[in-house]
Amino acid sequence: MTREETTAKIIAILSEDFEFENPGPTDNLRDDHGFDSIDAIELLGKIEQTILGFSLTREEKERAMTIRTIDDIVNYIEAIRLAHHTP
Amino acid sequence: MKRRVVITACSAITPIGYDKATILDNLRNGRSGIRPLRDDGLLSRRIHSQVFGTVDYPIDFQFKRHFRKTMGPVAFYACQVAGDVLARSGLSQEFISSGRLGVAFGSTHGSPTVQRDIYRTFFQELDSKFSTIGSVDYLRSMVHTTAVNITRMFGITGRVIASSTACTTSSQSIGFGYEMIKYGMQDAMLCGGADEYDTTTVAVFDNLLACSVNYNQTPQRTPRPFDRDRDGLVVGEGGAAVLLEEYESARRRGAEILAEIVGFSCNNNGGDMILPNLDGITATLRLALQDAALPAEAVDFVSAHATATKMGDVIEAQAIAAVYGDRPHVSGMKSYLGHTMGTCGAIELILAIYMMEQGFLAPTLNLDNVDERCRMLRHTPAVIDSDAAIAAIQNFAFGGVNTCLLVKSGKRV
Repeated sequence: MTREETTAKIIAILSEDFEFENPGPTDNLRDDHGFDSIDAIELLGKIEQTILGFSLTREEKERAMTIRTIDDIVNYIEAIRLAHHTP
Repeated sequence: MKRRVVITACSAITPIGYDKATILDNLRNGRSGIRPLRDDGLLSRRIHSQVFGTVDYPIDFQFKRHFRKTMGPVAFYACQVAGDVLARSGLSQEFISSGRLGVAFGSTHGSPTVQRDIYRTFFQELDSKFSTIGSVDYLRSMVHTTAVNITRMFGITGRVIASSTACTTSSQSIGFGYEMIKYGMQDAMLCGGADEYDTTTVAVFDNLLACSVNYNQTPQRTPRPFDRDRDGLVVGEGGAAVLLEEYESARRRGAEILAEIVGFSCNNNGGDMILPNLDGITATLRLALQDAALPAEAVDFVSAHATATKMGDVIEAQAIAAVYGDRPHVSGMKSYLGHTMGTCGAIELILAIYMMEQGFLAPTLNLDNVDERCRMLRHTPAVIDSDAAIAAIQNFAFGGVNTCLLVKSGKRV
């Protein structure tokens, strides 16, 4: 999955499942869309099942709590893939 | 400090309707909300009782995902009626978030639908590589989910009481809310209860041989409170809320006063968890009169708990006769609704308020042949004109918990 494809997938999840209106890659998730820690946990579950295909460790999930933008989410996913040696 | 407490707004989602006009029309015309039990793909086909007090009309829930994410079906009912009540009250957001408004709201056991999904994860998907328990499943299913979804959605910052005492859940909520205001702890309380469609509750009562099973082909002929041919209760669903306010401040702000709570009692039988107890119930009715400083003759209408179980109705009839004699009219509103469990006290209170306001009383539905042992009461004979001023709403729960609310018509406040 390319970076563009990952970004499109995340935007689709945020639009459909989280009811974001017109999400942009640099939007502040919390300030612009009311995204909170509960949403973050839910989103990680979606990422595991629909993008990564494997379970994240507790440490990996904790690292996600500093994410602020969609670009950050994509960076996070790419770093996880790299660490797990998955494409 | 003892202050008067009035009801200034109410709303109920019931098996006989949501808006007041529909509910009143169904009461006046003797229409039941009992329908065939819906298939849940799990228990419904194994349950002997195939009837349910059903909310079968669409409700236009308008909750954004930000709120929906922590709500199970039970919280949808709760937040819907809570929103109605706050909107109708005209209270300012400043007051709502001032800490002077509290919430007393409950359900029988949170959201069984969500709980069932959690258990399904445990029992069916243990080999899944992903956790299928949602991060918010606890918030959606927990026993105080209705109360705190209400506080979250409407920014209420006062006290929270989350009663969960089965059939006395919402009557306790209203009673404890009344006491919060009466004794000066809060100036207003949003009170009520909700219970969602749930076959586990039906299965539990079915196992105890307490559910109606003889009218599966004619659902509207059951439950039959006080009737010779009654054969048990019918579980139902719904949600109901009332706004309680301190009388003087309600008057000052020009709020419409629908009714006054003049007395409340709550006690426990101190013994058996299931069997109705004549001494305990009789004491409850007398304690409410004491709290209201009213003689028994002041009560014009008794909204009986009357679930249509074989023993429960007889014991309740004996208690009513012992306390009130045969003066007040008596009706069992579950004959229209089924037993809406944690919601029943709030719904039955609202029905009593509606009827007193409109000047009529509805009879117990399906009361074709009064059981000999319940004959000493003054059963409401038909839809009758009535200027009833004070109604008693009686509710009794598993665990031996009893409540009685005494409410005065708003026309007499």
